[in-house]
Order: sequence, then structure tokens, then C-alpha cells
Amino acid sequence: MSAKIAIDLHKLAKTVNIAIPTLAVLFFLAGWKLSFYFHFGTVTFILLTLLNLFYTRIQSGHTLLRNFGIMGQARYMMESIGPELRQYFFANDTEERPFDRNARSEVYRKAKNIDSAASFGSQNEFDETEIKIRHSMYPVLHSEQVPFSLTFGEERGIENAYTVKRPFIISAMSYGALGEHAVRALARGARQAGIPMNTGEGGHPKYHLMEGCDLIFQLGTAKFGARNEDGTLDDSKLAALASQDSIKMVEIKLSQGAKPGKGGLLPKEKITDEIAELRGVSKDKDVLSPPFHPECVGPQNTVSFIKRVQDLTKLPVGIKLCLGRPAQFEELVVEMLTQNIFPDWITVDGAEGGTGAAPKAFIDGVGMPLYPALKLVNDILTKHGVRDRLKLLASGKLISPEKQMVALCLGADAIYSARGFMLALGCIQALQCGNNTCPIGITTHDPELQRGLDIAVKSTRVVNYVDNLEHDLEELLSAAGCRSTRELSYDHLFVPVGANLGAMPPQSSSTSSSSSSSIFA
Amino acid sequence: MKPSIIISWIAQLVAVVIMGQSLYFKFTAHPASVAIFTDIGMEPYGRILIGVIELIACLLLLRSSSAHYGALLGLGTMAGAVVGHFTQIGWDGERGELGILALVVLASCAIVLYIRRMDLPFISHALKESEKG
Repeated sequence: MSAKIAIDLHKLAKTVNIAIPTLAVLFFLAGWKLSFYFHFGTVTFILLTLLNLFYTRIQSGHTLLRNFGIMGQARYMMESIGPELRQYFFANDTEERPFDRNARSEVYRKAKNIDSAASFGSQNEFDETEIKIRHSMYPVLHSEQVPFSLTFGEERGIENAYTVKRPFIISAMSYGALGEHAVRALARGARQAGIPMNTGEGGHPKYHLMEGCDLIFQLGTAKFGARNEDGTLDDSKLAALASQDSIKMVEIKLSQGAKPGKGGLLPKEKITDEIAELRGVSKDKDVLSPPFHPECVGPQNTVSFIKRVQDLTKLPVGIKLCLGRPAQFEELVVEMLTQNIFPDWITVDGAEGGTGAAPKAFIDGVGMPLYPALKLVNDILTKHGVRDRLKLLASGKLISPEKQMVALCLGADAIYSARGFMLALGCIQALQCGNNTCPIGITTHDPELQRGLDIAVKSTRVVNYVDNLEHDLEELLSAAGCRSTRELSYDHLFVPVGANLGAMPPQSSSTSSSSSSSIFA
Repeated sequence: MKPSIIISWIAQLVAVVIMGQSLYFKFTAHPASVAIFTDIGMEPYGRILIGVIELIACLLLLRSSSAHYGALLGLGTMAGAVVGHFTQIGWDGERGELGILALVVLASCAIVLYIRRMDLPFISHALKESEKG
């Protein structure tokens, strides 16, 4: 052991604790006898002495402070700037979560219209578990490609069927989760880019409506904006919302990738008077949505509820869920067949998803990741011959074209993204979404922090991001030898054995009545 | 508004008024002020320096989001003043009145600091933990 030249932190702390009051006395003497200016030191060290006494003698919550005083504080101070230091200096470009620097930079470049060509090879680890796109030996020319078009509600032949011309949708983010500037920048960008935006479950979408973009109204489990006192659906309120011109579709949120099996959560730090009013809740405590719709306690009444909302709104109505037990989903599909009622789309939200605040155990540990969930959902729908009765949307970290392409190959018709668009607005992944302290003013209601988020500039970034995603997707489509996204299939993917798609063992499905016919049983 | 915040504001205003009016004498080089700073060997730069520090403390005390920093600065400056009165300036006549005023500001700043202790960086965390227990 070379302990002789090592720093003994214990001794150092003890020395400092003795040195502080000693210095206070010395400065006092110097200030008295030499120059009054020394009293600046006297005062400083007297205050530090008092602080140190408080730490070591009075407070008892922190052991380090009690044992070592101010020196113990150094640990907490340095720890508190750890996330920033790691992001600035120490984390490499491929290790940050949820999005590493390479992934984030790619979005920034797309949003700012900067060329993203790279050289000297991929920075990703080219191990054997990564899903890749299999290109064709005979790529298709751009001129031969068919423009994208997807019509929701066409299967039911409804009057208000809604067509999207680009395969991107801004995913559910409520006013409440986001601040006014961010919502308006996204909504304006959506209008300029010609894509729809989901309102999130934030009640009456006042700010989403301001910019005149097409909206998908999300009906969360608490039914903000269309609820009775007891949390059940208020038909007239929903009908009134659905009759607004901008609201083109309605999405019933059954569960969400960030916290499958739990309801939404809006921390009280972020609840302003206005939000409390728009949602009809108190501002003194966290707003917790229930984990499920009171109307949906089994397959039968879930399907009936879809029908009820469809009849009420006369709009395309979809459901959003994060896949848990596939057998339960299959039961739901069988029930849809029995009642001959189908939602106009299903959104599969991967468990990796989530702008939302959620308990860490749920963020980290519950629900199926997007790719295997999407494949299972697509397979179940195909197996029952009902894949053509509805559309399939995918969400969950789909912020780059190659990831989106994989989702399209696995059965998605279009792509939902929330965090991709937050990054386009300039999100730096400070991970403060729940604290009302977002430094770029996206997930905060603090006017001083929102000041920097210029709606006009950032809405252009949203448009650029969509344009460049579309461009890249078209290029990938060409390379895959396809004329439209509809031609994409599982066959266009290279799925190594170690990929999570290959890691789905047969599962027992004791809760399912149709378990014997289950494709994964 | 909570009663404690009202008390804090009263203390802030007391501190600002007392420190503020003394600035006039410091910045205009009033003979009494010059005499004190000559006694402690800080004339003229120390007088200006202390004046500027007190001015900053006053400005900080006038915003609720920065009042705790203003109180800290005021507390430090007044502690220095009190040390001065006990060592070199003394308490005779007008100087005694000034010393009492310094003590009043010191107490006001201490009150503000106590009421707003949860706004202080770092220290507030230790306070929260011990007040919970």
C-alpha cells in the first residue's frame, strides 16, 4: 500500500473543520491589528463555522454531513452536477440513455437541415443482435414510388374518414406535460408539415387548437375534458369536442408504454391554475389517472366502449395500448370478431416509450418492448384474418428512419413519435420533465424558461425534421426495392437469433379461453 | 400569502430602508461616514466597496426569488460592521446609533434567512432531512 502519499479524506475533513474556526479568529486579529479589510475573511469564516456546527451537531438527516461537515458537502455538490459532467465530457457518443448522443445529434441535424452523412463506418456495435434492413439487389427509382396515403376509417366507410399523406404523427403529449410554447410550436409545425398531432390526455386541448393543425383527441383513463364526476365518460362533452373542426380522430388510451398498468401522472409541481381548470382537478396534489377505464373491465365491454365512442363522435376511433399478455390481446381480437366491431386503428406503444412521468419500476420493468409487441399484434390480427379491418400504428423510441423502417416492416402503417419531436424542438435530454425545471422550456410552465423557446423558429425545425425523415424513409424504401410502405414485410428484415424478436419463448396463457389455438402457446 | 412570508417582507423592507439611506451618506462622502472609514483605514475605496455591496444586497432583497441571497450578503456586511463597532469604531453618540441600526439590519437579515432557509442551495436539503425527522 502506498498509503503514505495518498490523501486521507477523513483527516482532511477533520483538519478543515478545525481550520475554519481557527481562520475566523486569525482573520479577526488581522482585521483588528493590520487592516480592516481582513474582516471580509472574519465574516466569511464565522458564517462557515456556524454552518459547520449546524451540519456536525444539529442536523441528523445526512450521515456524511454529521461526520465530516462542510467537506462532506463536497460529495453532494459534485454528485449534483454529475449528470451534466457526464453528458458534457465523459459519456461516450453511444452510451447515454434513453437516447445516445449519436441518435440525438441525428435528430438535431434533421431538424436544422444539416447533412448527416458520416464517414469511416458505423459507431454502433455491429454485433449479431441488431435488426437490420435487407436491401434489394434491384432498388426502385424514386420516380416509381407511390406517394404515401393512409385513410383511417375507410374500413367502416364512415363519412369522416381521415387521410394522412405522410407516415408520421406527433404522439400524445398533453398541455400540462408540455408548456404552452412547446405545444404551440409542435402544433404549428404539424400544421405546416401536414401531419396530425395527438393531444395527450390533458383535457380540453386549448393550446393544441390554437395553431389549426389536425388533432387526434386522446381519451385517457381519467377522461379529462369529457368526464363525469365519477370518472366515467360524459357523452355530451366528448361529442362537443369531436364536433370541433380540428379534431379529426379520437384515440382511447388503454395503456401507455411509460407505465403500462398504471394511469397517467402529472406531478403537482407542474399544475398551474389553468391546468387544474382545463382538467377539472385540484392543484395541490399530483394528478393520478386511474389505471384503466371504468367502462373497460373485460373484452366485451372494451369492444362495446369502442363502439360507443365511434357512434358518439362519428370520427375514426383507435385504441392505444402497451402489450402485456398477448393472450389477453388475442381474446380482445376474438371479441371484436364476435361483435364485428373494430377500432379504426390500434397503436402499439413499446414499453421503452414514454415522455410521461412514471414510477421507476414501471418505466424500467413493465411491458413488452415495441418490436416484439408489434410483431405479435400484427401476427394475431393476421391469424384471425382481420389485419385489413384496421390500421396499425407504432410508437416507442422511433426517432430515426432506420428504426421507423423496422417498425413498418413489422406491420406498422404509420409512425408515432413524441420524443423525436421534442428533440427537434431542441430537447437536450436533461431528464427534468417531471420537475417543471426543463432548461429548454419544453416540459415546464415557468415563463422564464419558456422564453427561450421561440415558437416560429422551432415549428420550422419540426417541419424540417419531418421532411428529412420522409426523405430518408423514401431512400430506404428504394433500397429495399419497394414502391410503397405497404410492400414492406417481415421478409425485408435481417433478424439475428439474438435479437429480441427471436427471444420470445412459448408462453402459457392460463387467463385465455383461446389458449389452445394461440400462435405462441 | 403565508404569514411567514409577510413577516419576511417586513424584515426585508426594514433592512433595505436602513441600508439604503446609509448609501446616500457613503456615496456622497458625508463627513461622518468619511470619518468612520478613516478610523478603520478603508477610506475611500473601502467606503465605496461596502456601499456597492450594500446596494447589491438591497436590490437582491427586493425580489422574492433572490431575497435569501440579499439577506446573506446583508448579514455578512452587518456582521462586519458590528465587528468594527466593537473593535475600532466604538459606540459613542451618533456612532452608537449607527451600531444599533447595524444590529437591526443584522437581525432583519437573520429573520429573512430563517424564513426563506428552504430557498438556500445545498443547505436546504440538509434542513429538509432534519426537519422531517
